[in-house]
Amino acid sequence: MTCDAVAKAIPLYYYGELEPAVEDGMEEHLQFCTGCRLELERQRAFAAELDRRQLLPPPDLAAECRHELIRAIYREEAPAVRHRDSDPWRLFREAFESLWHPGIRFTRPAGAVALVALGFFAARFVGSGPASLNLAGTAPDSIVSSIRSVQPDNAGRVQISLDETHRRVVSGRLDDQNIQRLLLAAAREQDNPGVRVESVELLKDRSASAEVRSALLEAVTSDANPGVRLKALEGLKSFAGDAEVRKTLAQVLLEDDNPAVRIQVIDLLIAHKDDATVSVLQTLVGKEDNGYVRMRCQNALREMNASVGTF
Amino acid sequence: MLQDAAGAVSARAVAKVDEAAVIRAVQHGDQDAFEQLVRAYDQSVLRLAMNLLRSSEDARDVYQEAFLRVYRNIHSFRFDCSFHTWLYRIVTNICLDHLRKRKVRREEPATVETADGPVDRMDSFEHEGPHADPERRMWNRQLGDRIGAALSDLTPRERMVFELRHYQGLRLRTIGDMLGTSEEAAKNCLFRATQKMRVVLGDFV
Repeated sequence: MTCDAVAKAIPLYYYGELEPAVEDGMEEHLQFCTGCRLELERQRAFAAELDRRQLLPPPDLAAECRHELIRAIYREEAPAVRHRDSDPWRLFREAFESLWHPGIRFTRPAGAVALVALGFFAARFVGSGPASLNLAGTAPDSIVSSIRSVQPDNAGRVQISLDETHRRVVSGRLDDQNIQRLLLAAAREQDNPGVRVESVELLKDRSASAEVRSALLEAVTSDANPGVRLKALEGLKSFAGDAEVRKTLAQVLLEDDNPAVRIQVIDLLIAHKDDATVSVLQTLVGKEDNGYVRMRCQNALREMNASVGTF
Repeated sequence: MLQDAAGAVSARAVAKVDEAAVIRAVQHGDQDAFEQLVRAYDQSVLRLAMNLLRSSEDARDVYQEAFLRVYRNIHSFRFDCSFHTWLYRIVTNICLDHLRKRKVRREEPATVETADGPVDRMDSFEHEGPHADPERRMWNRQLGDRIGAALSDLTPRERMVFELRHYQGLRLRTIGDMLGTSEEAAKNCLFRATQKMRVVLGDFV
């Protein structure tokens, strides 16, 4: 081999990527050629410099990424799982929940379908009742909420006494007391989870108000919709150190049936470590069915230098 | 040398638990199995993304996107290549997209300005500690700048091949498979990358 050919082959020789015959030829040449041996030494020094400068991910980065990934996946069921699990209520809840998760765009259509389904079922179940009656002779924007009395007369007519409710549109700024009162009422609106989510979303940035905080706590403990509960938890983030909030969070952690909610509660609780949290986490480890939630719990306990179980 | 080190570590980790069985479980919707798979590979995915993109934020994005793609598409994995190759094909595609976007909006400099002067983005490069000889530190900083410049001078594909061979320790044949090209093309890429870098580094090494 010539010096020129050897110089060109040195990088591949260094990485062990030459054909055996070419490698043999190179080694033979290197035995007698000082210039090419120096060139090989330069390649080695260059590679060593690069080795010394290899970047390693920060120690906690993988765990953080894994956590974010699993949370994203909890909001996005795998197609295989979706086919396997045909419980319509579960599918509805998950689709609905996906509406308020900004990270996964493609789940929004599923959420939209769920909302249409909600409207359909709502119309089926309450559409024939008195609450949705809209009669000639009443105001055009009013609906009948209840019938008080029905009185036939001798002329073959009927007198019906009824209560009407009128639809009004009010608008105002979020710091307007009246608007806030309406939002607080809307956050408890039984029949419409969409309204509850929107209201809690707007209220969650105002958790400094005791009244708002109380509504958020109520939503976290009592709302049937996990999307509403997750939103309310976001609003409580800045009060994760508050004793009353922590007490409620501990209760939610042990009782809520949604893993995404439980994970979010763990995150809030471990932001302010205390003995009570250790005890709650230890209790949860003992009863938790979900592998990821259990692992998060165990990791949190290890971070707090606490034993993983109670003995 | 870092011959096949990263690949071997990942492969060993998964071999213990019969990777094929784990993948089949994931294909049937088992989320615990998915997590097991992620744990087996996520360190090497992060290391690859960190070294290629030299930003932990970008590495975090690559991680999320890559494993979400795996999650969404695992049902289409047919075992006609190793899972490692399949995963790295996804990761390298995402990283190449990042690198190409950066090329379009100009490469970020290898150093950032701080109150103490320019500091290499690759903090871990400062391996001599705070009491190191000032001349040595200066030399190291200059070398770091040169290496940053040399890396940014490579095309995204050269950068990828170099990273996969030098730091990830993968064979050029595997790299060719991952990048959808031949071993010979990968060999040419590695050669060009090495030559370009040595020219830029000049008398530093």
